[in-house]
Amino acid sequence: MNSSYIVKMLAEISAIMNENKDRLIELDSVVGDGDLGLTMTKGFAAASEFAAGSDETDAGKMLYGAGKAMSSAAPSTMGTLMSIGLMQGGKVLKGKTELSNEDVVEFLAAYENGIMTKGKAKLGEKTFLDGFDPGVQALKVAVEAGEDLAAATAKAAVAAEEGFNAATNMKAVHGKPAVKGDASIGMVDPGACVAMLIFKAIAKASV
Amino acid sequence: MKKIINKPENYVDEMLEGLYAAHPDYITYTADDLRCLVTSNKVAGKVGIVTGGGSGHLPLFLGYVGKGMLDGCCVGGVFQSPSPEQVFNVTKEVDDGAGVLYIYGNYNGDILNFDMGAEMADFEEDIRVETVVAGEDVASAAPAGPGEPNHRRGVAGIVFVYKCAGAAAAQMKDLDEVKRIAEKAAANVRTMGVALTPCTIPEVGKPGFTIADDEMAIGMGIHGEAGIRNGKIEPADAIVDEMLEKILPDIPYVKGDEVAVMVNGLGATPLDEQYIVTRHIDKRLKEEGIKVHRYYVGEFATAMEMAGFSISLFKLDDELKELLDAPAATPFFKQL
Repeated sequence: MNSSYIVKMLAEISAIMNENKDRLIELDSVVGDGDLGLTMTKGFAAASEFAAGSDETDAGKMLYGAGKAMSSAAPSTMGTLMSIGLMQGGKVLKGKTELSNEDVVEFLAAYENGIMTKGKAKLGEKTFLDGFDPGVQALKVAVEAGEDLAAATAKAAVAAEEGFNAATNMKAVHGKPAVKGDASIGMVDPGACVAMLIFKAIAKASV
Repeated sequence: MKKIINKPENYVDEMLEGLYAAHPDYITYTADDLRCLVTSNKVAGKVGIVTGGGSGHLPLFLGYVGKGMLDGCCVGGVFQSPSPEQVFNVTKEVDDGAGVLYIYGNYNGDILNFDMGAEMADFEEDIRVETVVAGEDVASAAPAGPGEPNHRRGVAGIVFVYKCAGAAAAQMKDLDEVKRIAEKAAANVRTMGVALTPCTIPEVGKPGFTIADDEMAIGMGIHGEAGIRNGKIEPADAIVDEMLEKILPDIPYVKGDEVAVMVNGLGATPLDEQYIVTRHIDKRLKEEGIKVHRYYVGEFATAMEMAGFSISLFKLDDELKELLDAPAATPFFKQL
Protein backbone atom coordinates (compact mmCIF):
# COMPACT_ATOMS: atom_id res chain seq x y z
CA MET A 1 0.00 0.00 0.00
CA ASN A 2 1.19 3.51 -0.71
CA SER A 3 -0.19 7.03 -0.86
CA SER A 4 -2.72 5.94 -3.49
CA TYR A 5 -4.58 4.26 -0.61
CA ILE A 6 -5.00 7.71 0.96
CA VAL A 7 -6.32 9.07 -2.35
CA LYS A 8 -8.84 6.23 -2.56
CA MET A 9 -9.90 6.57 1.06
CA LEU A 10 -10.50 10.33 0.83
CA ALA A 11 -12.43 9.83 -2.41
CA GLU A 12 -14.71 7.31 -0.69
CA ILE A 13 -15.22 9.59 2.33
CA SER A 14 -16.04 12.50 0.03
CA ALA A 15 -18.50 10.32 -1.89
CA ILE A 16 -20.28 9.02 1.20
CA MET A 17 -20.64 12.54 2.61
CA ASN A 18 -22.21 13.61 -0.68
CA GLU A 19 -24.64 10.69 -0.59
CA ASN A 20 -25.59 11.58 2.98
CA LYS A 21 -25.62 15.34 2.61
CA ASP A 22 -29.37 15.75 3.15
CA ARG A 23 -29.38 13.30 6.04
CA LEU A 24 -26.63 15.25 7.81
CA ILE A 25 -28.34 18.57 7.18
CA GLU A 26 -31.54 17.14 8.61
CA LEU A 27 -29.87 15.66 11.70
CA ASP A 28 -27.95 18.85 12.35
CA SER A 29 -31.06 21.01 11.94
CA VAL A 30 -32.59 19.25 14.93
CA VAL A 31 -29.70 19.86 17.30
CA GLY A 32 -27.50 22.51 15.63
CA ASP A 33 -27.57 25.06 12.84
CA GLY A 34 -27.95 22.61 9.99
CA ASP A 35 -24.73 23.37 8.16
CA LEU A 36 -22.96 20.09 8.92
CA GLY A 37 -24.02 18.47 5.66
CA LEU A 38 -22.54 21.37 3.75
CA THR A 39 -19.27 21.63 5.67
CA MET A 40 -18.62 17.88 5.50
CA THR A 41 -19.29 17.61 1.77
CA LYS A 42 -17.33 20.77 0.96
CA GLY A 43 -14.50 19.94 3.35
CA PHE A 44 -13.92 16.33 2.34
CA ALA A 45 -14.35 17.23 -1.33
CA ALA A 46 -11.49 19.71 -0.95
CA ALA A 47 -9.37 17.13 0.90
CA SER A 48 -10.07 14.51 -1.75
CA GLU A 49 -9.39 16.87 -4.63
CA PHE A 50 -6.08 17.85 -3.11
CA ALA A 51 -5.02 14.22 -2.72
CA ALA A 52 -6.19 13.22 -6.20
CA GLY A 53 -4.34 16.11 -7.81
CA SER A 54 -1.14 15.63 -5.85
CA ASP A 55 1.88 13.60 -6.98
CA GLU A 56 3.07 13.38 -3.36
CA THR A 57 4.49 9.95 -2.47
CA ASP A 58 4.90 10.72 1.24
CA ALA A 59 1.57 9.56 2.72
CA GLY A 60 2.01 11.85 5.72
CA LYS A 61 2.56 14.93 3.61
CA MET A 62 -0.44 14.01 1.51
CA LEU A 63 -2.72 13.73 4.55
CA TYR A 64 -1.37 16.97 5.95
CA GLY A 65 -1.98 18.79 2.66
CA ALA A 66 -5.49 17.33 2.49
CA GLY A 67 -6.17 18.59 6.02
CA LYS A 68 -4.91 22.02 5.12
CA ALA A 69 -7.11 22.12 2.01
CA MET A 70 -10.10 21.07 4.09
CA SER A 71 -9.45 23.77 6.68
CA SER A 72 -9.67 26.54 4.08
CA ALA A 73 -12.74 25.02 2.43
CA ALA A 74 -14.70 24.36 5.64
CA PRO A 75 -13.69 26.79 8.38
CA SER A 76 -16.46 25.79 10.81
CA THR A 77 -15.77 24.09 14.13
CA MET A 78 -16.50 20.59 12.84
CA GLY A 79 -14.66 21.27 9.58
CA THR A 80 -11.62 22.51 11.47
CA LEU A 81 -11.67 19.51 13.80
CA MET A 82 -11.76 17.10 10.86
CA SER A 83 -8.86 19.01 9.25
CA ILE A 84 -6.89 18.77 12.47
CA GLY A 85 -7.55 15.02 12.47
CA LEU A 86 -6.12 14.68 8.96
CA MET A 87 -3.13 16.85 9.84
CA GLN A 88 -2.39 14.85 13.01
CA GLY A 89 -2.63 11.70 10.94
CA GLY A 90 -0.18 13.28 8.53
CA LYS A 91 2.21 13.89 11.36
CA VAL A 92 2.43 10.23 12.39
CA LEU A 93 2.79 9.02 8.80
CA LYS A 94 5.29 11.71 7.76
CA GLY A 95 8.14 10.16 5.78
CA LYS A 96 6.25 6.98 4.88
CA THR A 97 5.82 6.01 1.25
CA GLU A 98 4.78 2.44 2.03
CA LEU A 99 1.85 1.83 4.37
CA SER A 100 1.24 -1.22 6.53
CA ASN A 101 -2.05 -2.13 8.18
CA GLU A 102 -0.55 -0.92 11.47
CA ASP A 103 0.08 2.47 9.85
CA VAL A 104 -3.61 2.76 9.03
CA VAL A 105 -4.44 2.07 12.68
CA GLU A 106 -1.85 4.62 13.78
CA PHE A 107 -3.26 7.24 11.40
CA LEU A 108 -6.82 6.81 12.64
CA ALA A 109 -5.74 6.77 16.29
CA ALA A 110 -3.88 10.05 15.71
CA TYR A 111 -6.95 11.44 13.94
CA GLU A 112 -9.08 10.60 16.98
CA ASN A 113 -6.50 11.88 19.43
CA GLY A 114 -6.21 15.20 17.60
CA ILE A 115 -9.96 15.73 17.72
CA MET A 116 -10.15 14.66 21.34
CA THR A 117 -7.39 17.07 22.37
CA LYS A 118 -8.39 20.06 20.26
CA GLY A 119 -12.11 19.58 20.71
CA LYS A 120 -11.62 19.04 24.45
CA ALA A 121 -14.17 16.24 24.43
CA LYS A 122 -14.24 12.89 26.16
CA LEU A 123 -15.97 9.65 25.25
CA GLY A 124 -19.59 9.40 26.34
CA GLU A 125 -20.36 13.07 25.68
CA LYS A 126 -22.41 12.43 22.52
CA THR A 127 -19.93 13.60 19.92
CA PHE A 128 -18.08 12.43 16.82
CA LEU A 129 -15.77 10.50 19.14
CA ASP A 130 -18.52 8.14 20.28
CA GLY A 131 -18.83 6.86 16.74
CA PHE A 132 -15.14 7.08 15.88
CA ASP A 133 -13.50 5.50 18.92
CA PRO A 134 -15.27 2.10 18.70
CA GLY A 135 -14.16 1.97 15.05
CA VAL A 136 -10.52 2.67 15.92
CA GLN A 137 -10.54 0.15 18.77
CA ALA A 138 -12.11 -2.61 16.65
CA LEU A 139 -9.67 -1.93 13.82
CA LYS A 140 -6.74 -2.12 16.20
CA VAL A 141 -7.84 -5.45 17.68
CA ALA A 142 -8.44 -6.97 14.25
CA VAL A 143 -5.14 -5.77 12.77
CA GLU A 144 -3.23 -6.97 15.83
CA ALA A 145 -4.92 -10.35 15.41
CA GLY A 146 -3.44 -10.48 11.93
CA GLU A 147 -6.65 -10.04 9.92
CA ASP A 148 -6.31 -8.47 6.49
CA LEU A 149 -7.32 -4.85 6.00
CA ALA A 150 -10.60 -5.62 4.23
CA ALA A 151 -11.83 -7.79 7.10
CA ALA A 152 -10.46 -5.48 9.79
CA THR A 153 -12.02 -2.30 8.35
CA ALA A 154 -15.34 -4.11 7.83
CA LYS A 155 -15.37 -4.97 11.54
CA ALA A 156 -14.42 -1.37 12.38
CA ALA A 157 -17.34 -0.08 10.32
CA VAL A 158 -19.74 -2.30 12.25
CA ALA A 159 -18.29 -1.10 15.57
CA ALA A 160 -18.53 2.55 14.50
CA GLU A 161 -22.17 2.03 13.55
CA GLU A 162 -22.86 0.51 16.99
CA GLY A 163 -21.11 3.46 18.61
CA PHE A 164 -23.17 5.88 16.55
CA ASN A 165 -26.39 4.15 17.66
CA ALA A 166 -25.27 4.13 21.29
CA ALA A 167 -24.58 7.88 21.15
CA THR A 168 -28.26 8.51 20.56
CA ASN A 169 -28.94 7.65 24.19
CA MET A 170 -26.19 9.89 25.54
CA LYS A 171 -26.61 13.40 26.91
CA ALA A 172 -24.89 16.17 24.93
CA VAL A 173 -22.42 18.38 26.77
CA HIS A 174 -20.79 20.20 23.83
CA GLY A 175 -21.90 22.86 21.39
CA LYS A 176 -25.46 23.71 20.43
CA PRO A 177 -26.99 20.29 21.33
CA ALA A 178 -25.82 20.80 24.94
CA VAL A 179 -28.30 23.67 25.30
CA LYS A 180 -31.05 21.06 25.12
CA GLY A 181 -29.69 19.32 28.22
CA ASP A 182 -31.61 16.15 29.12
CA ALA A 183 -33.80 16.66 26.06
CA SER A 184 -30.76 15.76 23.94
CA ILE A 185 -31.05 12.16 25.16
CA GLY A 186 -32.68 10.18 22.38
CA MET A 187 -31.61 12.63 19.66
CA VAL A 188 -29.44 11.24 16.89
CA ASP A 189 -25.98 12.84 17.00
CA PRO A 190 -24.83 14.24 13.65
CA GLY A 191 -21.14 14.15 14.65
CA ALA A 192 -21.25 10.46 15.53
CA CYS A 193 -23.04 9.94 12.21
CA VAL A 194 -20.09 11.53 10.39
CA ALA A 195 -17.75 9.16 12.23
CA MET A 196 -19.84 6.15 11.23
CA LEU A 197 -19.82 7.30 7.60
CA ILE A 198 -16.05 7.75 7.62
CA PHE A 199 -15.54 4.15 8.74
CA LYS A 200 -17.99 2.87 6.13
CA ALA A 201 -15.98 4.72 3.49
CA ILE A 202 -12.69 3.37 4.79
CA ALA A 203 -14.04 -0.18 4.64
CA LYS A 204 -15.11 0.43 1.06
CA ALA A 205 -11.69 1.81 0.15
CA SER A 206 -9.97 -1.21 1.73
CA VAL A 207 -11.67 -3.98 -0.22
CA MET B 1 -25.35 53.14 12.60
CA LYS B 2 -23.30 56.31 12.86
CA LYS B 3 -19.61 55.62 12.27
CA ILE B 4 -16.74 57.44 10.61
CA ILE B 5 -16.04 54.83 7.97
CA ASN B 6 -16.04 54.33 4.23
CA LYS B 7 -17.37 50.95 3.13
CA PRO B 8 -18.16 48.67 6.09
CA GLU B 9 -16.36 45.77 4.42
CA ASN B 10 -13.15 47.83 4.32
CA TYR B 11 -13.25 48.66 8.03
CA VAL B 12 -10.41 46.40 9.14
CA ASP B 13 -8.06 46.79 6.20
CA GLU B 14 -8.40 50.60 6.09
CA MET B 15 -7.75 50.74 9.84
CA LEU B 16 -4.61 48.66 9.25
CA GLU B 17 -3.45 50.91 6.41
CA GLY B 18 -3.74 53.86 8.77
CA LEU B 19 -1.76 52.07 11.45
CA TYR B 20 1.04 51.12 9.04
CA ALA B 21 1.17 54.72 7.81
CA ALA B 22 1.40 56.12 11.34
CA HIS B 23 3.77 53.60 12.96
CA PRO B 24 6.28 52.25 10.43
CA ASP B 25 8.99 52.40 13.08
CA TYR B 26 7.13 49.72 15.09
CA ILE B 27 5.03 47.58 12.79
CA THR B 28 4.89 46.15 9.29
CA TYR B 29 3.24 43.11 7.69
CA THR B 30 4.29 39.88 6.08
CA ALA B 31 3.04 37.43 3.42
CA ASP B 32 1.56 40.32 1.43
CA ASP B 33 -1.33 40.29 3.89
CA LEU B 34 -2.17 43.43 5.87
CA ARG B 35 -3.63 41.19 8.56
CA CYS B 36 -0.31 39.43 9.22
CA LEU B 37 1.20 42.14 11.41
CA VAL B 38 4.80 41.81 12.66
CA THR B 39 7.33 43.95 14.46
CA SER B 40 9.70 46.17 12.46
CA ASN B 41 12.38 45.44 15.05
CA LYS B 42 13.02 41.71 14.97
CA VAL B 43 15.62 40.68 17.58
CA ALA B 44 18.00 37.88 16.56
CA GLY B 45 17.67 34.68 18.60
CA LYS B 46 14.79 35.92 20.74
CA VAL B 47 11.67 33.90 21.52
CA GLY B 48 8.90 35.32 19.34
CA ILE B 49 5.57 36.18 20.96
CA VAL B 50 2.47 36.16 18.79
CA THR B 51 -1.07 37.14 19.62
CA GLY B 52 -4.21 37.69 17.63
CA GLY B 53 -7.95 37.77 17.59
CA GLY B 54 -10.83 39.70 16.17
CA SER B 55 -10.67 43.40 15.32
CA GLY B 56 -12.76 46.03 17.05
CA HIS B 57 -10.81 46.05 20.31
CA LEU B 58 -7.97 48.54 19.72
CA PRO B 59 -5.47 48.85 21.26
CA LEU B 60 -5.99 45.07 21.66
CA PHE B 61 -4.50 42.98 20.12
CA LEU B 62 -2.10 44.42 17.63
CA GLY B 63 -1.35 47.57 19.62
CA TYR B 64 1.10 45.73 21.83
CA VAL B 65 3.46 44.64 19.06
CA GLY B 66 6.70 46.53 19.52
CA LYS B 67 9.81 46.67 21.65
CA GLY B 68 9.70 44.71 24.90
CA MET B 69 6.25 43.21 24.30
CA LEU B 70 4.94 41.25 21.30
CA ASP B 71 6.45 40.36 17.93
CA GLY B 72 3.43 39.58 15.82
CA CYS B 73 -0.36 39.73 15.65
CA CYS B 74 -2.82 37.85 13.47
CA VAL B 75 -5.66 40.23 12.77
CA GLY B 76 -9.18 38.87 12.26
CA GLY B 77 -12.28 40.60 10.96
CA VAL B 78 -14.41 42.49 13.48
CA PHE B 79 -14.99 40.04 16.35
CA GLN B 80 -13.77 37.19 14.12
CA SER B 81 -10.84 34.87 14.49
CA PRO B 82 -7.83 35.13 12.15
CA SER B 83 -7.30 32.16 9.81
CA PRO B 84 -4.81 29.31 10.41
CA GLU B 85 -2.81 30.48 7.36
CA GLN B 86 -2.42 33.93 8.87
CA VAL B 87 -1.28 32.40 12.15
CA PHE B 88 1.20 30.25 10.25
CA ASN B 89 2.55 33.17 8.21
CA VAL B 90 3.08 35.38 11.26
CA THR B 91 4.71 32.50 13.14
CA LYS B 92 7.12 31.85 10.29
CA GLU B 93 8.13 35.50 10.11
CA VAL B 94 8.53 35.97 13.86
CA ASP B 95 10.51 32.80 14.61
CA ASP B 96 14.26 33.20 14.77
CA GLY B 97 15.21 29.73 15.94
CA ALA B 98 14.20 30.15 19.58
CA GLY B 99 10.57 29.14 19.06
CA VAL B 100 7.33 31.04 19.33
CA LEU B 101 4.87 31.57 22.17
CA TYR B 102 1.20 32.23 21.38
CA ILE B 103 -0.70 34.31 23.93
CA TYR B 104 -4.35 34.96 23.13
CA GLY B 105 -7.76 35.13 24.75
CA ASN B 106 -9.95 32.16 25.62
CA TYR B 107 -12.33 31.96 22.63
CA ASN B 108 -13.04 28.68 20.81
CA GLY B 109 -12.54 30.02 17.29
CA ASP B 110 -9.17 31.53 18.18
CA ILE B 111 -8.05 28.35 19.95
CA LEU B 112 -8.82 26.15 16.95
CA ASN B 113 -7.23 28.46 14.42
CA PHE B 114 -4.09 29.09 16.47
CA ASP B 115 -3.75 25.35 17.13
CA MET B 116 -4.04 24.72 13.43
CA GLY B 117 -1.47 27.43 12.67
CA ALA B 118 0.86 25.78 15.19
CA GLU B 119 0.39 22.43 13.42
CA MET B 120 1.40 24.02 10.13
CA ALA B 121 4.45 25.68 11.71
CA ASP B 122 5.50 22.36 13.19
CA PHE B 123 4.85 20.25 10.09
CA GLU B 124 6.19 22.59 7.43
CA GLU B 125 8.91 24.57 9.21
CA ASP B 126 9.80 22.57 12.35
CA ILE B 127 9.07 25.63 14.48
CA ARG B 128 8.42 24.88 18.14
CA VAL B 129 5.28 26.64 19.33
CA GLU B 130 3.91 26.85 22.86
CA THR B 131 0.58 28.36 23.84
CA VAL B 132 -0.82 30.25 26.80
CA VAL B 133 -4.55 30.99 26.65
CA ALA B 134 -5.60 33.86 28.89
CA GLY B 135 -9.06 33.86 30.47
CA GLU B 136 -9.59 36.09 33.50
CA ASP B 137 -13.10 37.57 33.32
CA VAL B 138 -14.57 36.60 36.70
CA ALA B 139 -18.09 37.36 35.49
CA SER B 140 -17.91 34.91 32.58
CA ALA B 141 -17.69 31.57 34.39
CA ALA B 142 -16.91 30.00 37.74
CA PRO B 143 -13.22 29.51 38.49
CA ALA B 144 -11.81 26.25 37.12
CA GLY B 145 -11.13 23.58 39.71
CA PRO B 146 -7.79 21.74 39.75
CA GLY B 147 -7.31 19.93 36.46
CA GLU B 148 -10.48 21.42 34.95
CA PRO B 149 -10.47 23.52 31.79
CA ASN B 150 -10.79 27.28 32.24
CA HIS B 151 -14.02 28.53 30.67
CA ARG B 152 -13.46 32.20 31.44
CA ARG B 153 -13.21 34.72 28.62
CA GLY B 154 -10.01 36.62 28.03
CA VAL B 155 -10.35 40.40 28.29
CA ALA B 156 -8.19 43.44 29.17
CA GLY B 157 -6.04 41.65 31.77
CA ILE B 158 -4.18 39.90 28.94
CA VAL B 159 -2.12 43.09 28.59
CA PHE B 160 -0.38 42.22 31.87
CA VAL B 161 0.43 38.78 30.46
CA TYR B 162 1.84 40.39 27.29
CA LYS B 163 3.90 42.81 29.34
CA CYS B 164 5.56 40.24 31.60
CA ALA B 165 6.12 37.60 28.91
CA GLY B 166 7.40 40.29 26.53
CA ALA B 167 9.89 41.54 29.11
CA ALA B 168 11.07 38.00 29.79
CA ALA B 169 11.60 37.34 26.08
CA ALA B 170 13.45 40.66 25.77
CA GLN B 171 15.83 39.39 28.49
CA MET B 172 16.52 36.51 26.08
CA LYS B 173 14.99 33.88 28.32
CA ASP B 174 14.19 30.60 26.55
CA LEU B 175 10.76 29.46 25.38
CA ASP B 176 10.00 27.31 28.45
CA GLU B 177 10.86 30.16 30.76
CA VAL B 178 8.84 32.76 28.82
CA LYS B 179 5.90 30.36 28.82
CA ARG B 180 6.22 29.79 32.56
CA ILE B 181 6.12 33.53 33.16
CA ALA B 182 3.13 34.02 30.86
CA GLU B 183 1.26 31.26 32.71
CA LYS B 184 2.17 32.75 36.06
CA ALA B 185 1.01 36.21 34.97
CA ALA B 186 -2.24 34.80 33.58
CA ALA B 187 -2.89 33.00 36.86
CA ASN B 188 -2.52 36.22 38.82
CA VAL B 189 -4.81 38.55 36.88
CA ARG B 190 -8.58 38.95 37.25
CA THR B 191 -10.92 41.30 35.42
CA MET B 192 -14.54 42.34 35.47
CA GLY B 193 -16.38 44.80 33.26
CA VAL B 194 -19.59 46.78 33.06
CA ALA B 195 -21.25 48.06 29.88
CA LEU B 196 -23.64 50.98 29.45
CA THR B 197 -24.25 50.89 25.71
CA PRO B 198 -23.91 48.24 22.99
CA CYS B 199 -21.63 48.31 19.97
CA THR B 200 -22.25 47.73 16.28
CA ILE B 201 -20.29 45.50 13.93
CA PRO B 202 -19.91 47.69 10.80
CA GLU B 203 -20.93 45.00 8.33
CA VAL B 204 -23.99 44.15 10.43
CA GLY B 205 -25.08 47.78 10.71
CA LYS B 206 -27.05 47.58 13.93
CA PRO B 207 -26.27 46.55 17.51
CA GLY B 208 -26.58 42.85 18.26
CA PHE B 209 -28.19 43.56 21.65
CA THR B 210 -29.61 46.49 23.60
CA ILE B 211 -29.12 47.98 27.05
CA ALA B 212 -31.95 50.26 28.22
CA ASP B 213 -31.08 53.97 28.55
CA ASP B 214 -31.16 53.87 32.35
CA GLU B 215 -29.52 50.46 32.70
CA MET B 216 -26.10 48.89 32.87
CA ALA B 217 -24.91 45.34 32.10
CA ILE B 218 -22.72 44.17 34.97
CA GLY B 219 -20.15 41.62 33.88
CA MET B 220 -20.71 42.00 30.14
CA GLY B 221 -17.93 40.72 27.84
CA ILE B 222 -16.14 42.73 25.15
CA HIS B 223 -18.33 41.30 22.38
CA GLY B 224 -21.52 41.93 24.33
CA GLU B 225 -21.61 38.49 25.96
CA ALA B 226 -24.13 38.41 28.79
CA GLY B 227 -22.76 39.12 32.22
CA ILE B 228 -24.09 38.65 35.72
CA ARG B 229 -27.09 40.97 35.71
CA ASN B 230 -28.65 43.96 34.00
CA GLY B 231 -29.95 46.62 36.31
CA LYS B 232 -30.52 50.33 36.87
CA ILE B 233 -27.39 52.45 36.55
CA GLU B 234 -25.88 53.32 39.94
CA PRO B 235 -23.31 55.82 41.21
CA ALA B 236 -19.68 55.09 40.22
CA ASP B 237 -18.70 54.10 43.76
CA ALA B 238 -21.48 51.52 44.02
CA ILE B 239 -20.54 50.02 40.63
CA VAL B 240 -16.91 49.73 41.68
CA ASP B 241 -17.94 48.14 45.00
CA GLU B 242 -19.98 45.50 43.20
CA MET B 243 -17.13 44.70 40.80
CA LEU B 244 -14.47 44.51 43.49
CA GLU B 245 -16.75 42.29 45.53
CA LYS B 246 -16.49 39.74 42.70
CA ILE B 247 -12.82 40.28 41.86
CA LEU B 248 -11.15 40.42 45.27
CA PRO B 249 -12.21 37.01 46.65
CA ASP B 250 -11.44 35.24 43.39
CA ILE B 251 -7.69 34.53 43.70
CA PRO B 252 -8.12 35.91 46.44
CA TYR B 253 -6.39 39.27 46.77
CA VAL B 254 -5.77 39.80 50.47
CA LYS B 255 -4.30 42.25 52.96
CA GLY B 256 -0.59 42.70 52.39
CA ASP B 257 -0.77 41.83 48.67
CA GLU B 258 0.75 44.12 46.11
CA VAL B 259 -1.07 44.65 42.82
CA ALA B 260 -1.07 46.57 39.58
CA VAL B 261 -4.47 47.99 38.65
CA MET B 262 -5.84 48.54 35.18
CA VAL B 263 -8.88 50.74 34.66
CA ASN B 264 -9.88 50.17 31.05
CA GLY B 265 -12.36 52.23 29.07
CA LEU B 266 -14.45 50.15 26.66
CA GLY B 267 -14.39 52.77 23.90
CA ALA B 268 -16.93 55.50 24.69
CA THR B 269 -16.29 56.22 28.34
CA PRO B 270 -14.33 59.43 28.96
CA LEU B 271 -11.09 59.45 30.90
CA ASP B 272 -12.81 61.74 33.43
CA GLU B 273 -15.15 58.92 34.37
CA GLN B 274 -12.33 56.39 34.38
CA TYR B 275 -10.51 58.51 36.97
CA ILE B 276 -13.68 58.87 39.06
CA VAL B 277 -13.65 55.07 39.11
CA THR B 278 -9.93 54.97 39.90
CA ARG B 279 -10.47 57.23 42.88
CA HIS B 280 -12.84 54.78 44.49
CA ILE B 281 -10.76 51.70 43.63
CA ASP B 282 -7.84 53.39 45.41
CA LYS B 283 -9.96 54.05 48.48
CA ARG B 284 -11.31 50.49 48.59
CA LEU B 285 -7.91 48.84 48.13
CA LYS B 286 -6.45 51.01 50.92
CA GLU B 287 -9.28 49.82 53.17
CA GLU B 288 -8.46 46.21 52.24
CA GLY B 289 -4.77 46.74 52.97
CA ILE B 290 -3.80 45.95 49.38
CA LYS B 291 -0.89 48.01 48.10
CA VAL B 292 -1.04 49.37 44.55
CA HIS B 293 2.34 49.20 42.82
CA ARG B 294 1.13 51.10 39.77
CA TYR B 295 -2.02 52.15 37.93
CA TYR B 296 -2.79 51.88 34.24
CA VAL B 297 -5.78 54.07 33.34
CA GLY B 298 -7.06 54.53 29.79
CA GLU B 299 -8.11 52.38 26.84
CA PHE B 300 -6.39 49.00 26.60
CA ALA B 301 -9.10 46.64 25.30
CA THR B 302 -12.22 48.18 23.83
CA ALA B 303 -15.41 47.05 22.12
CA MET B 304 -15.56 49.81 19.51
CA GLU B 305 -18.06 52.43 20.68
CA MET B 306 -19.30 50.52 23.73
CA ALA B 307 -19.52 52.67 26.85
CA GLY B 308 -18.39 51.18 30.11
CA PHE B 309 -15.16 50.06 31.72
CA SER B 310 -13.37 47.13 33.25
CA ILE B 311 -11.17 46.73 36.29
CA SER B 312 -8.21 44.34 36.25
CA LEU B 313 -6.12 43.49 39.28
CA PHE B 314 -2.72 41.87 38.82
CA LYS B 315 -1.17 40.30 41.87
CA LEU B 316 2.57 40.84 41.93
CA ASP B 317 5.64 39.18 43.41
CA ASP B 318 9.21 40.38 42.93
CA GLU B 319 9.63 38.53 39.65
CA LEU B 320 6.42 39.82 38.05
CA LYS B 321 7.02 43.32 39.40
CA GLU B 322 10.44 43.54 37.77
CA LEU B 323 9.03 42.31 34.44
CA LEU B 324 6.04 44.66 34.62
CA ASP B 325 8.35 47.61 35.30
CA ALA B 326 10.74 46.84 32.43
CA PRO B 327 10.68 49.38 29.61
CA ALA B 328 8.50 48.81 26.55
CA ALA B 329 7.53 50.80 23.49
CA THR B 330 4.72 49.95 21.10
CA PRO B 331 2.27 52.14 19.16
CA PHE B 332 -0.17 52.03 22.10
CA PHE B 333 1.96 51.24 25.14
CA LYS B 334 5.00 53.20 26.19
CA GLN B 335 6.78 52.81 29.48
CA LEU B 336 10.21 54.24 30.31
